Amino acid sequence: MQVELINVFIKAAMDVLRSETGEEPSAGSIKVLSSAQTSEEVTVMIGVTGDVRGMVLLGMSERTAKGIVSRMMGEPCPLFDELAQSGIAEMGNVITGLATQGLEQAGYGAVISPPALVAGGPGIIISTVNIRRFVVPLHCGVGDLVLHAALELAPATSQHGHSNGRAVVAPGVFGI
Amino acid sequence: MAKVLLVDDAAFMRMRCAKLLQEEGHEVIEAANGREAVDVYLAQKPDAVLMDITMPEMDGLEALREIRARDAGAKVAMLTAMGQQSIVIEAIKSGAKDFVVKPFERERVLAAVAKLVG
Ligand SMILES: [Mg+2]
Repeated sequence: MQVELINVFIKAAMDVLRSETGEEPSAGSIKVLSSAQTSEEVTVMIGVTGDVRGMVLLGMSERTAKGIVSRMMGEPCPLFDELAQSGIAEMGNVITGLATQGLEQAGYGAVISPPALVAGGPGIIISTVNIRRFVVPLHCGVGDLVLHAALELAPATSQHGHSNGRAVVAPGVFGI
Repeated sequence: MAKVLLVDDAAFMRMRCAKLLQEEGHEVIEAANGREAVDVYLAQKPDAVLMDITMPEMDGLEALREIRARDAGAKVAMLTAMGQQSIVIEAIKSGAKDFVVKPFERERVLAAVAKLVG
């Protein structure tokens, strides 16, 4: 997976964080990991299928998650309850959805699964097994996040399969 | 003022959109996936539908087609994070009257509803 495609995800995350929090975010340097990774306290997981496939993870502390949801609601968010969890999962959905527009412009069709949320970390291992994982820290006024993109190009057959003409939601294995 | 069916799997998004539509005086009914949207649509015949795409059970494009197959006059706008051109084209071909991409602006959502019911 080329770094240019990872940049599409970083840009999408920055655009959505800016629009949802009103703060100007910044991105740290990209690292490449292949090992299993301990999760942050809260992780949003979104599956990607099509010409580009794999998984996008967005990790953060619960405090950051509540800070973001609070900005999105325009009111305090004291509890990380079901509604707040839904809000942070939806932000992951919007980031990944926006990234698929950038992928389309680069010639790759991709669709995403409904988001799933893992809370109760750290200490939970979320492994992306055989796919190399690009990891980028994102800094924002409400707190820090970590974007993980474990993505690869699908074999050539599916690139000729015009998956970008089909808008089928990926199977709900990650569905909540 | 219209009766608007809001379809999104994210409870947070339904809450947020319902609030802004209600502030404008619209009546809001909700569904959490495409399957539920078809059932609620047929039972309640709303004036307008705002439809997410990425949802479990049945996605929004399939729900759009099912609703339009049962009611050719159904007025549906997509409200989704999936803004790829190929998907916009597929939605319009399937009968969507408007396409709003998340993250959305309040005015854009209200304009979409006004266009549907106008
Ligand atoms: Mg959705």
